[in-house]
Amino acid sequence: MKDDSPANFLEMLAYFISLQIEDHKVVYVGTGLPMVAAILAHKTHAPNITMVYESGGQDPVEGDMPWSVGDPFTWRKAVAIQEMPYSFGQSANGYVDIAFLGFAQVDMYGNVNTHQIGKDLTNPKIRLTGSGGNNDLSSLTENMVLVGLQTPERFPERVDFITSVGHLDGGDSRREAGLLGKGPIAVISQWGVYDFEPETKRMRIKSLTPGIPFEIAQQSTGFELLKPDGDIPETPMIPSDVLNILRTKVDPNGVFTTMPS
Amino acid sequence: MSTFKYNQEALKNLNIEESALLNRLVDFESARESHLKKVRGKVDKRISLKEAVAEYVSDGDVLSDAGFAYVRTCHQAFFEMMRQGKKDLQMIGAPNTNQSYMINYGSVAFSHNSYVGAEMRGTDRNYSRQLKNGKVKILSEWSHGGIAQGLKAAQIGAPGLFSKQMLGSDIMKYNPYVRMMQNPMRDDSDPVVFIPALYPDVVFIHVQVADKYGNACIYGPVVNDIALASATRKVIITAEEIVPEINLRYIKDGAIIPFIYVDAVVELPFGAVPGNMPGYYYWSRQWWEKLMRHATKDEEKFFEFFDEWVMRTKDQFEFVEKLGGTKWITEARRQTKAAEGSNEDIDFRYQEYAPENKTELYY
Repeated sequence: MKDDSPANFLEMLAYFISLQIEDHKVVYVGTGLPMVAAILAHKTHAPNITMVYESGGQDPVEGDMPWSVGDPFTWRKAVAIQEMPYSFGQSANGYVDIAFLGFAQVDMYGNVNTHQIGKDLTNPKIRLTGSGGNNDLSSLTENMVLVGLQTPERFPERVDFITSVGHLDGGDSRREAGLLGKGPIAVISQWGVYDFEPETKRMRIKSLTPGIPFEIAQQSTGFELLKPDGDIPETPMIPSDVLNILRTKVDPNGVFTTMPS
Repeated sequence: MSTFKYNQEALKNLNIEESALLNRLVDFESARESHLKKVRGKVDKRISLKEAVAEYVSDGDVLSDAGFAYVRTCHQAFFEMMRQGKKDLQMIGAPNTNQSYMINYGSVAFSHNSYVGAEMRGTDRNYSRQLKNGKVKILSEWSHGGIAQGLKAAQIGAPGLFSKQMLGSDIMKYNPYVRMMQNPMRDDSDPVVFIPALYPDVVFIHVQVADKYGNACIYGPVVNDIALASATRKVIITAEEIVPEINLRYIKDGAIIPFIYVDAVVELPFGAVPGNMPGYYYWSRQWWEKLMRHATKDEEKFFEFFDEWVMRTKDQFEFVEKLGGTKWITEARRQTKAAEGSNEDIDFRYQEYAPENKTELYY
């Protein structure tokens, strides 16, 4: 049965993320939307990408949506399964082109917090997951893309806790701190796609979701968003044939692309 | 006895007054001493889980997680530690601290964290609450890769290594073990993080097959387990099946932990339940949803859940009965084999756990 309903936010997000993936690249994939996006890219414009996972799985055979980064689907008939320190070592050694990470908070310099709400680690308001592999990928990978929903609380001027360094204090401070790679190249939310202004490394609008005015994006942000020169472009909407592939071949059960009721 | 120099800022930030608590994890001499004393002969090391926990887990030990949080992780050993009333363990939650249920029963009082939670199932509200109530004290905070490097350093016999991970982050402010340095090989500025080799006291490593001497074969992600087996003072192998030694020599499919590291072997089918055991059973996804989304809402619900599933449940066989018995086993085996591509594809759709839907079978 063909589903002709318009794309929901999660489906749009999956498409926006997939556009960041170029063909013939090695992609480090986490679970959730980044995985949906990577598989969507693989089935559309990037048929020659190689996916690697935190479980250590290298180039697994695609299956259903994994339930966890350690799920057998992340190493299904994989050519090799690397131990954990080697799996991050791949990023450090320049074998990974792009990785996707989520966040509880991201700030104007692309620093990420997945640790807590509150400043004190010994007594936070709410303790969250902590790093997992978030810090490792952020510290090491050539190109980082940060993905998550946008609200003023989730986009503060400064994160409560720096789990993963993005562009730290802006300018050249990431490189001076000794970190590898370019740092975050994009932040993708339901309202827009953001990049970082090359000199200051402050977050800047690259394009906004069709129908979303600048004011909505700014009101959902705890700091001043930079604007590109000229008119703000619209992020391309998911074409109907791609949406159909997403719904029938990538996440047919809607595990990660069904809006919570 | 070695003495240690810790990052003073981290000690202060973590309110650690008694830094002696930190020593075991980096005390190479005592780890080497323990390794030298291990039984060298090829002897039958099989004992029961009850005996292994009673004999090898001492109150206050540094206990490491193994496997991948809830993939090939010996939850049943953790449950047995709770039943035996083990106290004040330091839990290395790497890859995961979703074993936070041990805190409420007093079994774990300290944690070394690299991740807390259960991914898409939700953050660990129980850990958050126990931390705020002072029932668990963080001794060190890590990234997955950072702590994995510490264990790997131990395995390769190095006192530590230099890392490019955790640099510039707030994690550094809450880890007394690591410190920022200048790369001694470089003339230009090149900040690196020194990560010391790490030596836990005790680990239970769950594997698919092992022989009675402790040669143990891991199929699927190894994660940190080979490093853990070589670094840890007391190593207990729990196995789905005990097989003849010759099988591991000639028919192995996966990585091997050699018997010389191993203190005891436990034949423990369903030892990783309710987690995923590659080749044997998929997660009980609904069990985890019930835990993360419902049972961790408050203390009352929490104790109700774990009193039922652990304290009043004798062993893993009773646990499996509660999940749905042979029907659960059959379904979980189909699922993991299909996920691994070793079976025909099946439909992975299922109903997420909801209290109003009575379930006979925890998918």
